Amino acid sequence: MAKTKKMLLMSISLVMMASLFLAGCGSKNEASQEGTPEKPVELIWQTIGTPQKDVDKVMAKVSEYTKEKIGVTVKMKMYDWGDYNQKMQVVSASGEPYDIAFTSSWAFDYVNNARKGAFYDLTELLDQHGQGIKDTVHPSFLEGAKIDGKLYAIPVNKELPAQKVFRYNKDLVDKYNLDIDSVKTLEDLEPLLAAVKKGEPNLYPLSAGKDFRFTLPLDLVNENMPLGVRLDDNGDLKIVNLLEQPEVLKNFETMHKFYKAGYVKQDAATATSGDEMKTGAWLTDLAHTQPFADALWSESNGYPVVSRPAEDPYVYNWSVTGSMMAISANSKYPEKAMEFLNLLNTDKYLRNLVNNGIEGDHYKRLGEDRIEYLPAKQENYDMPSFTLGNFFILDKLPSDPDNKWEEFQKFNDSAKNAPLLGFNFNGDKVKTEMASIQNVREEFYPSLFTGTVDPAVYVPKALEKFKQAGLDKVQAEMQAQIDEWKASKK
Amino acid sequence: MRKKKYRDAHHVSPAINVLFNIIAGVFAFICVYPFLFVIVISLTSEESLTKNGYSIFPEKWSFAAYEYIFKAGDQLLHSYGVTILITVLGTLVSLLVISLYAYAISRKNFSYRGFFSFIAFFTMLFNGGLVPTYLVVTQMLHLKDTLWALILPLVMNAFYILILRTFYSTTVPDAIIESAKIDGAGELRAFFTIVVPISLPGIATIGLFATLGYWNDWFNALLYIDNPSLVPLQSMLMRIENSMQFLLTNAQLSSSGQSLELLRTLPQEATRMALVVLATVPIACAYPFFQRYFVQGLTIGAVKE
Amino acid sequence: MKPIKNFIHHLNLNKVFLLMVLPGALWFLFFSYIPMFGAVIAFKDYRIGRDGFLASLMQSEWVGFKNFEYLFSTNDAYIITRNTILYNVVFIILGLVCAVAMAIILSEIVNKRLAKVYQTGMFLPHFLSWVIVGYFTFSFLSVDKGVLNQFLVWIGQDPVSWYSESKYWPYILVFLNLWKGIGYSSVVYLAAIVGIDKTYYEAAMIDGANKWQQIRHITIPSISTLMTILTLLAVGRIFYADFGLFYQIPRDSGPLYSVTNVIDTYVYRGLKVTGDISMSTAAGLYQSFVGFILVMTSNWIVRKFNKENALF
Repeated sequence: MAKTKKMLLMSISLVMMASLFLAGCGSKNEASQEGTPEKPVELIWQTIGTPQKDVDKVMAKVSEYTKEKIGVTVKMKMYDWGDYNQKMQVVSASGEPYDIAFTSSWAFDYVNNARKGAFYDLTELLDQHGQGIKDTVHPSFLEGAKIDGKLYAIPVNKELPAQKVFRYNKDLVDKYNLDIDSVKTLEDLEPLLAAVKKGEPNLYPLSAGKDFRFTLPLDLVNENMPLGVRLDDNGDLKIVNLLEQPEVLKNFETMHKFYKAGYVKQDAATATSGDEMKTGAWLTDLAHTQPFADALWSESNGYPVVSRPAEDPYVYNWSVTGSMMAISANSKYPEKAMEFLNLLNTDKYLRNLVNNGIEGDHYKRLGEDRIEYLPAKQENYDMPSFTLGNFFILDKLPSDPDNKWEEFQKFNDSAKNAPLLGFNFNGDKVKTEMASIQNVREEFYPSLFTGTVDPAVYVPKALEKFKQAGLDKVQAEMQAQIDEWKASKK
Repeated sequence: MRKKKYRDAHHVSPAINVLFNIIAGVFAFICVYPFLFVIVISLTSEESLTKNGYSIFPEKWSFAAYEYIFKAGDQLLHSYGVTILITVLGTLVSLLVISLYAYAISRKNFSYRGFFSFIAFFTMLFNGGLVPTYLVVTQMLHLKDTLWALILPLVMNAFYILILRTFYSTTVPDAIIESAKIDGAGELRAFFTIVVPISLPGIATIGLFATLGYWNDWFNALLYIDNPSLVPLQSMLMRIENSMQFLLTNAQLSSSGQSLELLRTLPQEATRMALVVLATVPIACAYPFFQRYFVQGLTIGAVKE
Repeated sequence: MKPIKNFIHHLNLNKVFLLMVLPGALWFLFFSYIPMFGAVIAFKDYRIGRDGFLASLMQSEWVGFKNFEYLFSTNDAYIITRNTILYNVVFIILGLVCAVAMAIILSEIVNKRLAKVYQTGMFLPHFLSWVIVGYFTFSFLSVDKGVLNQFLVWIGQDPVSWYSESKYWPYILVFLNLWKGIGYSSVVYLAAIVGIDKTYYEAAMIDGANKWQQIRHITIPSISTLMTILTLLAVGRIFYADFGLFYQIPRDSGPLYSVTNVIDTYVYRGLKVTGDISMSTAAGLYQSFVGFILVMTSNWIVRKFNKENALF
């Protein structure tokens, strides 16, 4: 008895100490609304990419300019590709102050974090301080980025739709004199693959890794669920199961055939592609395109690459949210941050400074809107352009064609909107099921899509497991939300 | 005859000794082999790697990886410095705090030993998770972007404490301490003059573990360090590995063809392996140094008897 | 007032010891116990508010055990729980036997210099991350370029598609776990063996005991406390699995999930997109809680037999 009392007293004294410390840890909020050239405010900008040596130097230059223009200075914090997600999750959940952050469908997930309250609602701010963005950014971008009718981030104005193409290693196409114009579907590839395999028995002509996907006939509600609306939907917006679509089943069969014939490497289901791109030991694969992609690929691979469309371009939610900038819900200066984003997306000098670095240090100017990188750019300021804002005001490099941005504009205008553009699913009610479904997906997708397993056996198996994981419940919830969304749109 | 038997009991028989040598040797070889592999790969030319994959007899040797690393030299040297500093400082602080704590809870005349053993043990299982810890470190203790953020979070470890407590209670007889106290030494003095020398093998083991813990730690740097001049070696290495994995396995990025472009900004395979070598060799060389401590601890222990 | 007075008197009596534990206790307070309050997040639907973490936590809605449901709701729940426990049981038992055996072997090797070389070698795997170990297992097991398959073909056997045949994986994983861990854990036992009072052995030898008898009757009993404590601690983590071992080594291969999916990989896959911290905290809490119950029970049993060997 005495011992318990002793324990109790000791515990109480420790808890008291703890609460004393806790009391001292409340966050202080001082709201000073400066932001003039004399008294600028500092914006913290979190972004993804391998940290570069000269970031601070360039940001000092940026601040010099923005201080005069809108009364802000900028501090950029870069986190490496593999760290960004985790770091930003901790930063945002802990309420650590920052102002602007990179967000997307593939890193620091836009939809989930917006729903959790991580981002500032920009709908009104955009009207007040973002007129320039409204004028330049393609309206489909702003539409597709909305969640329940509210905008939480500014998409980077770049290629808008997603379109898959068949990519070919041109050297092999020429060597075997292949007719790549006739290929419209996966099945059409067969004679080409056969010809190359016959000539080069040690080469796997169809390059596929664990993320390999052929063209899908669905607009998926959520990349991680096998559910979506058919692209040729008649306006009903009926949710269907990906693994029950005839085109998909047929392609599974085709892939399995290819796999057995040795067109796909044996460990495709666990492989990460990359090596064969370096060596050129491949004939074809599928990739998302953008204007002048062939030139880009040829340059980064070091040998000629050509491509032919595999599907029509569509604007999806995920293609719109591929790269965006959000303002933190905790930001002390949301208006200033919005002004900055507006300037970044419309001001040619600022945007190019952020992208290319300092003239003379990182690049040399060749003409009015044409520049050439100096070695220091690669070494000390190698920034991922597509994460940093509007493409259309960027200076061109010597290898870029004159009509580069016009072609981008054409590509963007050519696209159709996918049926679910602007609808973002709220998974709160079914998050238990979604976690399980995600596991089933990872178990079956790589082997099915690479053709490693026989679809006749594994598709039913996968469907069964999806069902057990609660797919029906998720499907019902999705359909209900979509019906509501459809009604609200009318 | 008698003499021979006595010798036999000191050592295992020669046949068994050979057997033991074979078992330990083979296992040690299995353990060393991949490491040799790492060294070979770090010296393989990048083309042979993409063409043939890993091979212990590469087609073409190359020092390019090391040249690449040393050209970007200052970052590497900085990171070495940080790692060595936090390892040495951290291990010292850690050993001091842990050995005192463990000693107190190993003493039967400490009334709260049960309580303090329990609160240590409890932390092995329960923790508040990443976000609350992050808050304490950054907002209460204000350690962000300081070396202390790399040192303090690893100072204590319930596992080490409980091991050390066991060492104390099994190797240090109460009688010795009692006699020291009769001679007028206080608890603290008895600890430093008698207990520490006897338990040196145990303390050295914990010291070794703490050293490895600090040397291998990368996660605290990921959380708390933004300043590139404070990034330790392992963290540099893990950052590259993680980013590699992320870019390669991110479906959306890789199908856009963008990942390949981005991957080019990361070091190549041989370079990554060279970093592994550079991050491992110094600490592996420090290991025998710890073993010396075992021996020293032993001799001191023996003298005391 | 009396209990308080007693308490203060007691504190005074234990002054020196309390001083010794003070730095450590403060550390536990800051780095473990204060953050522990944050674990309530597992029972909340966490939303980020404008006024920092604590305020957000307060304002978030209570949802009871909803964040735990995904750990139990499906058929996978059975598989991941079974895999986690079975692997850990095997790891604990084999790990103990092998580490003690290796420690004894190393301590008995006549040439001490050689023993040190072996020991240093055994330590190396500890420095390689699972990602890198994964590259090596792949260079052994890859279907077309793998060393093992080349060997199988060379001796006239059919090559094996290692990354889709689940039957081999329990052995591979157990082997790799032992490979990586023995060097580390045998060091503890070796230090304990080295610390055994030499006079016991002298006495035994005078009594005519041979080496085997010495090992059985002196060495093993002397380190039995350490063995018990380390095993108890391992039992506490029986619901935790080494993520890298189960994720990186099998290359996240779907056909192997039935033998490689464990609680940690399941949680990772389920939450990697949403990054729901409430649900991940819930998983950790569940793992800790089960471990806690198991340790308390086994500690209680150990106490019945031998108070010295118990954790507390």
